[in-house]
Amino acid sequence: MAKPVFRPGSDEEWEALLHQLRQQPLVQPRPFFYARVQGRLTAAPRPAAGLLGWVRRPAYVALLGLLGLAMSGDGVVLPPAATQPASPQARLRAH
Amino acid sequence: MSLPGPVALVFMTCSLPLSFAAEARPCTGAGAALADAELVAQLQQGNEAAFRTLVGRYQDRIYRTAFSLLRSAEEAEDVAQEVFVEVYQTVGQFRGTAALSTWLYRLATSRALQHRRRSAAKKRFAYFTSLLGFDNRVLHDPPDHAHPQALLEGQQALHSLLAHIGRLPSQQQVAFTLRHEQELSYEEIAAVLHTSTAAVESLLFRARQTLRRHLQAPSRHG
Repeated sequence: MAKPVFRPGSDEEWEALLHQLRQQPLVQPRPFFYARVQGRLTAAPRPAAGLLGWVRRPAYVALLGLLGLAMSGDGVVLPPAATQPASPQARLRAH
Repeated sequence: MSLPGPVALVFMTCSLPLSFAAEARPCTGAGAALADAELVAQLQQGNEAAFRTLVGRYQDRIYRTAFSLLRSAEEAEDVAQEVFVEVYQTVGQFRGTAALSTWLYRLATSRALQHRRRSAAKKRFAYFTSLLGFDNRVLHDPPDHAHPQALLEGQQALHSLLAHIGRLPSQQQVAFTLRHEQELSYEEIAAVLHTSTAAVESLLFRARQTLRRHLQAPSRHG
C-alpha cells in the first residue's frame, strides 16, 4: 500500500514545511576551498582592463583600421561635382 | 593607536588583521559593513590576505545560495569558485554603492541561473540527439542524491517542495530561496534583485501561491 502523501493544506502545515526547509542540514563546500579558488584564479586569464585590452587585440585593431580607411576614402573615390558627367536631362538639353 | 570605545569594540570583533581567526568571529550590522569596507579597500590594493579573508567569510553563504538554486554539490562548488574569481578580477570596479554581501549574492544568483540555463539547454540538446538516434543512451532525470534529508523517511513533503521550488520562474525562485533558505530580509533581497521591496513581496506571494497549489494537488506521477 502506498504511503499517504503529506499535502500542506492549512497555514500551520505550510509554516511547518517552511520551518523544515530552514532546518535543513547546512551544506558546505569541501575542505580546502580557498586552495581550489586560488588554483582556478591562477589558471584563469586575467581580463584585460578597459580600452587598452581591446587595443591589444590585433584582429580588432586591423578591423578598426580597415573600417577607418573605408570611411575616410569616400571623398577620394567620388569625383568632384564639377567633373561629374551630366545628367541625361542636361545632355538632352545640350543637343 | 587608541580608538574610542564603540569603534574599538567593532575593530576587536570584526577587524583585520586578516586571518582565519578573525573569520571565525561573526560580524553583524554596522560592524560587518565597516569590516567589509576595509576588506574591499585592502583587496583593491591587491592584498592577498584580504582575499583569503573574504573567501573564508563568505564561502559558506555563497555555496549555500548556489546549492539552493542548483541542488547539486558539484555545480554549487563551480559557481562559488566562479564568484570569487570574478570578485578578485573585478574588485577594482566595485564602487561600494551596494553592500559587499549584496554584490556577492547578486553574482552567486546570476551565475547559478546561468548554470541552470546551460544545463537545461544541454538536456534539451541531448533529448533531440536521442530522438534523431545520434546516441543510444537512455534519457532520464538523474536521481537526486544531493539532499541527504530528503532521502530520510517521512521527508516526501520537503523533497516535493524542493522539486517545485526548482520549477519556479527564476526571479521567484531566487526571491524564495534567499528569503526562506538564506533568511535574507526583504530589503536585502530587493538589493540583490535590483528591485523594490514591494516587487519582492509580490514575487514571494506568487511563489508561495504556486508552491501551495502544486503541493496540494495530487501528483500525476503517483
